[in-house]
Amino acid sequence: MLSDVTAEELMSFLNLDTRPDIKGQATEYILGLSGNRDGCRFLQTKPDLIKALVTLTTDPSIAIVKDCYHTLINLSADETMHRLLVKNPDFLPMLFKNILDPGYMFADRICTILTNLSRHMKTCKEVFKAMQEQGISLAQIVEIFCTEDYNKQASLHYLGPLLSNLTQLPETRQFILDKDRCVVQRLLPYTQYEASTIRRGGVIGTLRNCCFDHVHHEWLLGEAVDILPFLLLPLAGPEELSEEENEGLPVDLQYLPEDKKREEDPDIRKMLIETLILLTATKVGRQILKTKNVYAIMREFHNWEKEPHVVAACEKLIQALIGDEPEPGMENLLEVEIPNDVEVKLKDMEAKELEQLEKDKEDLLNPDKAQHCAGIVRMM
Amino acid sequence: MASHAQTADDSDDDMDGFMERFKKEKYSNAFSEDNWEEEFNKVPMFMKTAPEDIDPLKHPELAAIQSIIHDDDRPLGEQAQSLKDEGNEYFKERNYKKAIVSYTAGLQKKCSDCNVNAVLHTNRAAAHFHLGNMRSALNDAVAAKKFKPDHLKALIRGATCCLELKKYTDALQWCEEGLKLQPTDKKLLELRAAADKHKRVAERDARKAKVQEKKERSEREALLAAIKVSRNVKIKTSVLYNLDGLCSTEATGARVFLGEQGIIYWPVLFLYPEHQQTDFISAFSESSSFLDHLSHMFGEELPPWDTDRKYSFKNLQVFFEDEERESLHQVNPETTLLKTLQHKRYFVKAGTPSFIILVKGSPFFLNNLQHPL
Repeated sequence: MLSDVTAEELMSFLNLDTRPDIKGQATEYILGLSGNRDGCRFLQTKPDLIKALVTLTTDPSIAIVKDCYHTLINLSADETMHRLLVKNPDFLPMLFKNILDPGYMFADRICTILTNLSRHMKTCKEVFKAMQEQGISLAQIVEIFCTEDYNKQASLHYLGPLLSNLTQLPETRQFILDKDRCVVQRLLPYTQYEASTIRRGGVIGTLRNCCFDHVHHEWLLGEAVDILPFLLLPLAGPEELSEEENEGLPVDLQYLPEDKKREEDPDIRKMLIETLILLTATKVGRQILKTKNVYAIMREFHNWEKEPHVVAACEKLIQALIGDEPEPGMENLLEVEIPNDVEVKLKDMEAKELEQLEKDKEDLLNPDKAQHCAGIVRMM
Repeated sequence: MASHAQTADDSDDDMDGFMERFKKEKYSNAFSEDNWEEEFNKVPMFMKTAPEDIDPLKHPELAAIQSIIHDDDRPLGEQAQSLKDEGNEYFKERNYKKAIVSYTAGLQKKCSDCNVNAVLHTNRAAAHFHLGNMRSALNDAVAAKKFKPDHLKALIRGATCCLELKKYTDALQWCEEGLKLQPTDKKLLELRAAADKHKRVAERDARKAKVQEKKERSEREALLAAIKVSRNVKIKTSVLYNLDGLCSTEATGARVFLGEQGIIYWPVLFLYPEHQQTDFISAFSESSSFLDHLSHMFGEELPPWDTDRKYSFKNLQVFFEDEERESLHQVNPETTLLKTLQHKRYFVKAGTPSFIILVKGSPFFLNNLQHPL
């Protein structure tokens, strides 16, 4: 690695006043360092670096600003850097200041950095707090996300995974699931957004996380939102179903054309199925999914799917769909007379189930398992 | 005390006197019991409804008031406002046509107040809506929006009109704009959900129609192949009918179809030229013979038009017409329909094979027969 003296010199070049050619070479070099682990470790020891990079994002040279952002992206991809980045008082404000600007050409890089930072709960909270302090609401984020061509120079696809990461926080889920607004409904069409896997995956991750809140299932599956078709369409294929089966499906899934294609990313397919499984956790969810003939779609899907981990998820869903409901007389378990020893056993099982559910929830909300939130850019 | 009592008595006397006179005498121009309601209705303050036309002679007060409203010396904005208020009054009475007249007059003032113009357009849109003039209503909503892009009522009206006109994508667009301004507006949320639902149903209907069409097309093709290729039956095509020549002009809409076990059923006409009568058999199986049908139709009971009682099935002969050669070919009644259709001179016309039925020895037979059996 660099000697301390050289390192000092390098840092001194990261100034707005430095000669452009030297400045450019310095930023390029830093970018290169940030691209590998050792380089990152080294940069971690230089707290002034973040400050310098933040300042240089205002540099008149586009090439330099680009290098700065790319360096920040690489740094943000490394979890150990998060503390340092967030500690800088100007860093997050700078990011949020520019994100809503429809003419800001680096908006996509900002979204990527924010996505990386929000992966883990701790920094996610800080990101959310900073966002609010900057006077930026989730409503605005959703608004620019859903406005086509909001920023002519940035696609803003990474707002998808950002939103998904933010739904680790109950405040975000609450906003998205607000019955008095039209938020989740605006996100639904993006489950089939062909132009970007990132956007699509982000939205589906958002929906999946929201479905952990069981109390909203009936509303989500009801007419006001009607989430089901949007989850099923990417899983539905061109196979012809009988007229009877068609008429039992949700309207959007009836009579699909013969060129209908399924979702091509297996991880996204799995996320969709996981969301559907979440919806079968409640009785009302199970009932609705059964009545709407979800089984027919999953049956065809099962015949088509090749990825083993997705097939496994599919089988779990089908189990829930064709499994038996409690016997008559047992549907309302609160009214059933339970013998003492059975009652103890049931309470024990319930405790274990809740434990497992919490663990599953943690696993699923933990973006390490969700592979679409990486956004790592390694530049040499 | 005494003097007070005196004065009170005096005034009481006067009062009593006045009251007495009041009860007995009628004042001039009094309302009578018969016409008091009518008279009341003429006083502008007590009018229940406005008269259709304000005749300055009959209703001088009303005409005076109206001229104040329409005084052309007032600033345009004020005039427009008054006309707006007038229109609103008519609207409340559900007199939408008159309301539109008032709003239009208000708009014609072309005042510079964007708010008033936006409201005039929006209200006129509502009046049109209630009259069922959806397109006019929508145009007004668009105009209102131009004057004031954040006028929520205009956006709601626009969305409602688009919904009625079944322009679901446009309706969603209006709702989206409205919700940007007022994210929790219940009416907009409702309209959006409705437009979305209808749109998706319409899309499904289009898909379903496509699937049906495809199914029908392949069924037709299979049928045509079965007729022309497998069975080698010739069909006469004509510009008037479907290109495949299978369109039947029968009022019942009966068509040839492929039934169970691959048997084709034809709609068939029996013509009885001697009596100018016809019989229509909607589904004649190709494997049935003419005799099968004739023995039923002319078996126990003979048709009423058969005045000479000659049309017993044993006496009947079957022919088909060779149009090109203008001749009749006789057919053995025991032949199946299929065999007959396969005759090298037979062409199915208008998708309905027709046959001439005559009695043996009839003059028609003798006059027209050229190709004996």
